[in-house]
Amino acid sequence: MVDVARYFMEFCSSESCGKCVPCRVGTHQMHELLKRIHQRRGTAADLALLEELCEVVQMTSLCGLGQTAPNPVLSTLRYFRHEYEERLQPRDEAFEPRRTAAAEAKS
Amino acid sequence: MMRSAAPANVRVVTLKINGQAIGAREDETILQVAREHKIRIPSLCYLEGLSVWGACRLCVVEVTGSPRLLSACSTRVAEGMEVQTDTPRLQRYRRMIVELLFAERNHVCAICVSNGHCELQDLAQQCGVDHVRMPYRNSIYQLDSSHDLFRLDHNRCVLCTRCVRVCDEIEGAHTWDVMGRGIQCQVITDLNRPWGESRTCTECGKCVQVCPTGALVKQGTSVGEMHKNRQFLPYLSRMRQAL
Repeated sequence: MVDVARYFMEFCSSESCGKCVPCRVGTHQMHELLKRIHQRRGTAADLALLEELCEVVQMTSLCGLGQTAPNPVLSTLRYFRHEYEERLQPRDEAFEPRRTAAAEAKS
Repeated sequence: MMRSAAPANVRVVTLKINGQAIGAREDETILQVAREHKIRIPSLCYLEGLSVWGACRLCVVEVTGSPRLLSACSTRVAEGMEVQTDTPRLQRYRRMIVELLFAERNHVCAICVSNGHCELQDLAQQCGVDHVRMPYRNSIYQLDSSHDLFRLDHNRCVLCTRCVRVCDEIEGAHTWDVMGRGIQCQVITDLNRPWGESRTCTECGKCVQVCPTGALVKQGTSVGEMHKNRQFLPYLSRMRQAL
């Protein structure tokens, strides 16, 4: 399903006329993110960014192409979210904020 | 603000912008009215004196009753309209659009001729962009230095098409145009010939003055040295109307 969304995003990206910014750059960035996730190189941050990009491109694009371009991503995320999540890179413990004794006591 | 030769029978409407009741002429846009009342709406492609393009999408506003966001530069005011220009949602969208602009081409302020006098830089500050969350595309773009007086650097172009519009509408030469589509779009001179070989360019320099970034600059300028005259076009159009 990630590849299906990637395929549609590639189409929208190549069909974009290039007039408005969210569609011209947003579809390209979403395609790059979907490629990353599909190749199992993406992280949870990439998925969060993808979702935010979907909203921005959908709401701010000038014409129908940009406004509907994120739809395949949004529907696959709604029904097949696990397929995205199982392709994400595992969290790297080295970059996680360290839990100190003081923080443990607070929580 | 610029006023076109006003027909006598233009109606006055009342609307609310951010809860503030405002009276405005029917033929004005939301952006014009907001700026007259010192309400800041970020914009990039809009420039007073040129035709409306509506493509940067930074001036989007919420209008009560409209399911979609509307661009303030291309929407006329109407009686009883209620406009919100600065909600948290709009701030978030604008921030991301500016980030997209930075990630599209190679905008590196530290080595840019327009550093400190750049509208894209101002927008980033205004919208609170302190870092870009998506990777830069890092595509290699060409630099056209074939013209004796001016230089074109595609790496710093944001495709606002101000140069295209000023050349066509104000100078009347139409040297500039946009080539390609999607992410491959580029501004070109004549039929994609080097600027220096262009037969239509009148060397007036209007495109350089209206360019918001360091894409169009004067030859011989170095880092941070390119100052553009922001009052150039409003002054010119006012003078032309006075004649």
